[in-house]
Amino acid sequence: MGAYKADDDYDYLFKVVLIGDSGVGKSNLLSRFTRNEFSLESKSTIGVEFATRSIRCDEKVVKAQIWDTAGQERYRAITSAYYRGAVGALLVYDVTRHVTFENVERWLKELRDHTDANIVIMLVGNKADLRHLRAVSTEDATGFAERENTFFIETSALEATNVEKAFTEVLTQIYHVVSKKALEIGDDPAALPKGQTINVGSKDDVSAVKKAGCCSA
Amino acid sequence: MKNSTTTNINHHKEEQQHHPKNDPSTVSSIDSRFNQTLKNVQGLLKGRSIPGKVLLTRRAEPPDDPSIQSPTFGRSFSENDAGGRDHMHKSTEEKDQSTSKRNNEGANMLNPSTSNIDNTSKETHKSPMTARATDSTRVTKFTKELSVPTVRLERLRELGWSGVPPYMRPIVWRLLLGYAPPNSDRREGVLRRKRLEYLDCVAQFYDIPDTERSDDEINMLRQIAVDCPRTVPDVTFFQQEQVQKSLERILYTWAIRHPASGYVQGINDLVTPFLVVFLSEYLEGDVDNWSVSNLSPEKISDIEADCYWCLSKLLDGMQDHYTFAQPGIQRLVFKLKELVRRIDEPVSRHIEEQGLEFLQFAFRWFNCLLIREIPFHLVTRLWDTYLAEGDALPDFLVYIFASFLLTWSEKLQKLDFQEMVMFLQHLPTQNWTHQELEMVLSRAYMWHSMFNSSPSHLAS
Repeated sequence: MGAYKADDDYDYLFKVVLIGDSGVGKSNLLSRFTRNEFSLESKSTIGVEFATRSIRCDEKVVKAQIWDTAGQERYRAITSAYYRGAVGALLVYDVTRHVTFENVERWLKELRDHTDANIVIMLVGNKADLRHLRAVSTEDATGFAERENTFFIETSALEATNVEKAFTEVLTQIYHVVSKKALEIGDDPAALPKGQTINVGSKDDVSAVKKAGCCSA
Repeated sequence: MKNSTTTNINHHKEEQQHHPKNDPSTVSSIDSRFNQTLKNVQGLLKGRSIPGKVLLTRRAEPPDDPSIQSPTFGRSFSENDAGGRDHMHKSTEEKDQSTSKRNNEGANMLNPSTSNIDNTSKETHKSPMTARATDSTRVTKFTKELSVPTVRLERLRELGWSGVPPYMRPIVWRLLLGYAPPNSDRREGVLRRKRLEYLDCVAQFYDIPDTERSDDEINMLRQIAVDCPRTVPDVTFFQQEQVQKSLERILYTWAIRHPASGYVQGINDLVTPFLVVFLSEYLEGDVDNWSVSNLSPEKISDIEADCYWCLSKLLDGMQDHYTFAQPGIQRLVFKLKELVRRIDEPVSRHIEEQGLEFLQFAFRWFNCLLIREIPFHLVTRLWDTYLAEGDALPDFLVYIFASFLLTWSEKLQKLDFQEMVMFLQHLPTQNWTHQELEMVLSRAYMWHSMFNSSPSHLAS
């Protein structure tokens, strides 16, 4: 590790996973966030795919390494390996297909089984542009997010609504937890080895952050 | 069946008598020649100064190079292991000079340690590339092969490995997959029966109300319905609703009849080469301009049936690729990693140092058989080789994919982890022509000849 010199500079590297049922728009959320692209002709994701983007938080450069996973259940044995070390997750459902919202609970369990308890989770209701087809109300999703102590936002990857906000909110929350933690234990955050798992800290830290702000739009 | 097996064994015995046992010194000298050839090839490939054509030519100069053999050689083991349908034809149908080759394959199986030499000496005068000398001679050979009362599958594999003339693909693929019988008298009858059977399956499993389906079946149908519109979306032909409905019927029927795996994302991609090939019997011109709306329901049903059965035959040899946790794919990904380490140590070390797992990029390659990685117009040519490999395909995929990966050996060594992952997800193959693909296949073939027959290379 670290034997090479990366051509980009960043202060923090956070691993984030995109999960949720097949066809809810995970890959398009990712391409919208990392390349500002959207494709109506995208193919299903096989196994995992990957993209990165850096944002600024308090003068620090935070680089997100985002793993996009296949939605089909059969792939979970493969994809769950990628949950390891993730400090953030966007759990996506499709507001026009209720069954994808019903499955959120299973995804959440999957996530909690395979990741650190302090992972920052954002519930994302995508395809909000399809207003006439809506099958999941904002209230239902908000209620669920509150009960499960996750963040919540509705997005449209097609119209580029709230996509930026969904990702930056997750990254900012992780940053707050990590920088606070680093301050406490006197770590130099810039010295974090690239690509290495970052411990988000104790459970209390995350809940404190979560109470501080929920960005349901 | 009993008779044919006996005949085979007898042939093996004869064959062994004809070939005195090779002494170890010969073996080791051949080994070192293999190594030298490998180094030469690596040098050529790294330099990138040699276009595919030169390599192709080298393949056609067998007498000087023990590593160059007919693709038949590589198949010998599993073909024989596989038994079943091919064995049926072997003893009865091979009467001419190819008999000696077949027997030789048998000898390989009985005595793998001497197989290199036997094959080398016997096969060197033959080359698949001689068949490519001109297109018209190739066409003539195919025509001749297909016109006999009982097609010699072994010969057809050999021819097909280097590419099948497009208009012959439907018949050749059906034969290579064992869907159509080699015996031409029986062919029509078998296909008619199989097509009816498919129709029955669709009626029984697909054309029923959801109330008669289990929850799992409903989920599966839903998953298939989500994936059909996203199947090869860059080829407009597949956006036609009727085509997507055909795809859905084929996939669902296959999934229901293969409960060990059920439908797995990516299998939708695997139907598409069959669809375009079997539709090509009825539609002309560029795939993008095709329309199925003028085809009768009977024809569409026949085409679907052919796709269904050919998909089934193809996946029969890869059952554990799509079962829980996909162990078959994981195993091949591991083999790929090992092979790449043997062939190209620097890139292998770089990949490891960067912490890149082969599973992170090669999983999709195996899952979709490279359909996602190359332009769609090249896929059918690639599949000619796949289907010619027959039962040996899974193992040969490892060689093809190693060859594919190492196309970018130099480039990869300049990339860090993240750059590599992203590069490998979107490989620059958009402008690939047949030449690049032939290069990949030739190299795979060469490495297969060098490594697969010499486990000692892998063990060193």
